[in-house]
Amino acid sequence: MIYDDEMETLPREALEALQLKRLQHTAERVYNLVPFYKRKFDEAGVKPEDIKKLDDLKRLPFTTKQDLRDNYPFGLFTIPLEQVVRVHASSGTTGKPTVVGYSKRDIEVWSELMARSFAAAGVSRGDIIQNAYGYGLFTGGLGAHYGGERLGATVIPISGGNTKKQIMIMKDFGSTVLTATPSYTLYLAETLKEMGISRDEIKLRVGILGAEPWSEEMRRMIEEKLGIDAIDIYGLSEILGPGVAIECIEAKHGLHIWEDAFIPEIIDPETGEVLPDGEEGELVITTILKEAIPLIRYRTRDITRIIKEPCKCGRTHRRIERIKGRTDDMLIIRGVNIFPSQIEALLMETEGVEPHYQLIVDRINNLDTLEVKVEVSEKMFSDEIRHLQKLKERIEKDIKDLYGITVKVTLAEPKSLQRFEGKAKRVIDKRKI
Amino acid sequence: MKRIRQISVFVENRPGRLLEVVELLGKHSINIKALSLADSTDFGIVRLVVKGTDDAIRVLKENGFTIAETHIIACMIDDKPGALANVLKILADNQINIEYMYGFASPIEGKAVMVFKFSETEKAEKILSENNIQMLSQEEIREI
Repeated sequence: MIYDDEMETLPREALEALQLKRLQHTAERVYNLVPFYKRKFDEAGVKPEDIKKLDDLKRLPFTTKQDLRDNYPFGLFTIPLEQVVRVHASSGTTGKPTVVGYSKRDIEVWSELMARSFAAAGVSRGDIIQNAYGYGLFTGGLGAHYGGERLGATVIPISGGNTKKQIMIMKDFGSTVLTATPSYTLYLAETLKEMGISRDEIKLRVGILGAEPWSEEMRRMIEEKLGIDAIDIYGLSEILGPGVAIECIEAKHGLHIWEDAFIPEIIDPETGEVLPDGEEGELVITTILKEAIPLIRYRTRDITRIIKEPCKCGRTHRRIERIKGRTDDMLIIRGVNIFPSQIEALLMETEGVEPHYQLIVDRINNLDTLEVKVEVSEKMFSDEIRHLQKLKERIEKDIKDLYGITVKVTLAEPKSLQRFEGKAKRVIDKRKI
Repeated sequence: MKRIRQISVFVENRPGRLLEVVELLGKHSINIKALSLADSTDFGIVRLVVKGTDDAIRVLKENGFTIAETHIIACMIDDKPGALANVLKILADNQINIEYMYGFASPIEGKAVMVFKFSETEKAEKILSENNIQMLSQEEIREI
């Protein structure tokens, strides 16, 4: 279902004209209002009025997460704090958090884009959204909340965690839509089973899942276990929060990025050079509708590609491929680039293996080692060692075939690996470099 | 058919894990009649014959252990040199493959018990019975 018919199906030419106008306006504002951008533009030898066509975007400087940290907390804001109605921040696990602000209009736009995203996932008025994204500084909870209300659905602001209660509410309130991370959704599915609650006792129909990279196989597993449509949603706090891009339920392939609000580019993460549509690289986003903290060519660190083919749903906004991983999640093991989501996909194709896994990276005698811990499911368990050994060897061989590296697979007891209520932390890197 | 119910438990190789299994059974007054531990580098399988199999399965499952139930054959043999060789010879002559086995001394004077897992249980049972090898029933193993 299309929420904003006019904007979502705007012919490319009109959409690009709109983008150019909004880009020019944004460039002018940041140049005049943010000393950081004035300096960056000047260093790059470019003025806002040099933006004559969309392609001129590539003349503008990049913005990085470090730039946000350097200007912590409010240095990149273009409006005075009294016009900022809300602030969010990233978790800041690797240093100072990155702080973003929203004007009243920013919240409106965000709600609108999120409502559009819900609609693209097949959600409508009358649906009951169980919002299990965390509320707080993390943008997931409130972003989905406002979007759901904007759409006219009923929102249950349950936030993350408290799994047994989640299930009670899901059953008693008849929730039809779940918003959560994919790993938490799997955990919920497991708990449902443990509690002896059958699929028929809940009304869940759609899961809108994001905030961490996941695989097609994980989708299949979630859909099978819960009997729902699992839809991939994308967002990041620096840009907006959830609702930057979403898959449509019609195609479930690639996420429509709302191009009237964002201009996506794919660059080579090493050289910074812009790559043509279809090529894989780092996603860079320029916000063209944001008021409080517009960002020029923000380097997301997410690896994806732009799908240029039109989508069967009729939306004209281009799609980005499911995020493959992050440049900073990418593991380099003995010179090989490994994304945890690819290992995940492989594990999920292996019969008898539970979807829970952990990757442990270490360096022993100057050599990187990768240990893959996987849980063995009850149905695979045999009382003969050799059957389990065979399973282990099969996974080791599959990974070797895929990456050409030897890894150690360790079989773990079911439910022994940590469960996550928010973003899963699958990688433990013990290397001291 | 004289088959004995055996419970296999998947355990990670880490200190104290076997203790947890055994303690749990002890706490629920489940007596272990026979136990064998098969291990690889990072996990092991504890195989148990207990008095109160259903209770043991329930207790272990409730505590999050992965278990499997298997049927095995327990043979009572003479506790004297050459007795086991005699049984194994009969099996070998009849092309019966043993998956694994373990033994324990019986409190009955002059007897020992060998527990077998065969790849072809029925065929093995037939051969053993034709050769008058005494197989124990579930009740009999409870009593010894």
